[in-house]
Amino acid sequence: MKMELTVNGEKRTLDVKPHTRLLDLLREDLGLTGTKEGCGKGECGACTVIMNNKAVASCLVLAIQADGAEVLTVEGLSKGEKLHPIQESFIEKGAVQCGFCIPGMIMSSKKLLDENINPTDDDIKRGLSGNICRCTGYVKIIDAVKSAAHKMKSGGGDNG
Amino acid sequence: MIKQSKDVKNKQRIFGEGSKKYFRPQTKEGLIEILEDYEKDFTIIAGGTDLLVANFDKLHEIDDWLDLNWIDDFKEIKIYDDKVEIGSMVTHERLYKLDKIKELFPVLQKAASDVGSPQIRSRGTIGGNIVTSSPAGDLLPPLMVYDAKMKIISKEGERTVDINEFFTGPKKNVLNKGEILEKIILPLKDENQKGVWIKVGKRKALVISSISLALNLVFEDERIIKNSKICIGSAAPVPLRITKAEDYLNNKEIKKVNPEKLGKIVAEEIKPIDDIRGTAKYRRQTINNITQSAFREVINS
Repeated sequence: MKMELTVNGEKRTLDVKPHTRLLDLLREDLGLTGTKEGCGKGECGACTVIMNNKAVASCLVLAIQADGAEVLTVEGLSKGEKLHPIQESFIEKGAVQCGFCIPGMIMSSKKLLDENINPTDDDIKRGLSGNICRCTGYVKIIDAVKSAAHKMKSGGGDNG
Repeated sequence: MIKQSKDVKNKQRIFGEGSKKYFRPQTKEGLIEILEDYEKDFTIIAGGTDLLVANFDKLHEIDDWLDLNWIDDFKEIKIYDDKVEIGSMVTHERLYKLDKIKELFPVLQKAASDVGSPQIRSRGTIGGNIVTSSPAGDLLPPLMVYDAKMKIISKEGERTVDINEFFTGPKKNVLNKGEILEKIILPLKDENQKGVWIKVGKRKALVISSISLALNLVFEDERIIKNSKICIGSAAPVPLRITKAEDYLNNKEIKKVNPEKLGKIVAEEIKPIDDIRGTAKYRRQTINNITQSAFREVINS
């Protein structure tokens, strides 16, 4: 089945099967392996991407359902060598351990900060409640999101 | 192909070759035509947040997908003087973010805000929640206390079913093959009502309820309960209205209600089972407690 979508600002035309998931399209057809498959059942958030301005679990979206959509993955956040403030903040605050959950954490953070640039700790916890970190890094992740919000407010958000 | 010209006419889109097909009607009429033209055992997808999980390792075995996501009419919320109509494809996220829903149906709004996670709420739909018909479906008890009506369509026509008659067992309902839930109709009454939603689970997010409660009270003069509705989720094969508790509350002065007695009635009436989300004993004790706190919360709010 032929379909077209925009991924990280670039138009792509693809041939997919009815049961191909958006996650498979991104990772296998487009080679965008930043988006991870954790549980494959919408419970861990590692596969989170932003589709038409909504945070979605790409394992629970059929690829064909993204026909005509705009999709943003973790690869689309940086501008060349310049990291997005959220990415910078995760590094600065040491919010990364094994790293597997981080692309999803960052995409959920992006969605959260797009809607609310002044999140409280509770807002951040709710915004990231669909993302699980098994290395136990939540405190530093919350710090990183707060720091990113600060940077984006004070002009570092040209990427945002 | 003849099919082709018809598809174009009705703005239907059919993808795929051979035995695996994906149907995506864009209008209600297009949907009905697909149901008329194809005698297939469709796998109907709404938000997909249950369906794709249930079929996680066998998605490739599905022959004919029928996707309701492209029907814009099914995503509408219409507010009239005497009712609100919610399209079956309205997501949990839209439901809980809409001020009007919060104002008119706070129990439903709160339940929608508690579903899953941001990623689940952005895709999962009210219609999917209803048709999946899990005893733990979070929107079901609120819809029961608000007397929702289900408008169901098929190639034969349409019918309306009261939500109290809709569920017949765990993941079972009155829908026949070829019937689609189009919208949910919530009657609007000019009454002083207050409600509460309580969900108990092992975590706050991404959890299937161990037990849940929806309570709605209609008041007369602020001190008499004119009418009450109470419905419990994850406590029986279907979401369970506790009519015995409602009878106890109806036409009673607030100060004459004994919350402990109310909790005890509800705990006695539910039919819970032991499963991975809790034992029957745990559920009975918990529902007793949360019924009391729900009642106190409503009368003190």
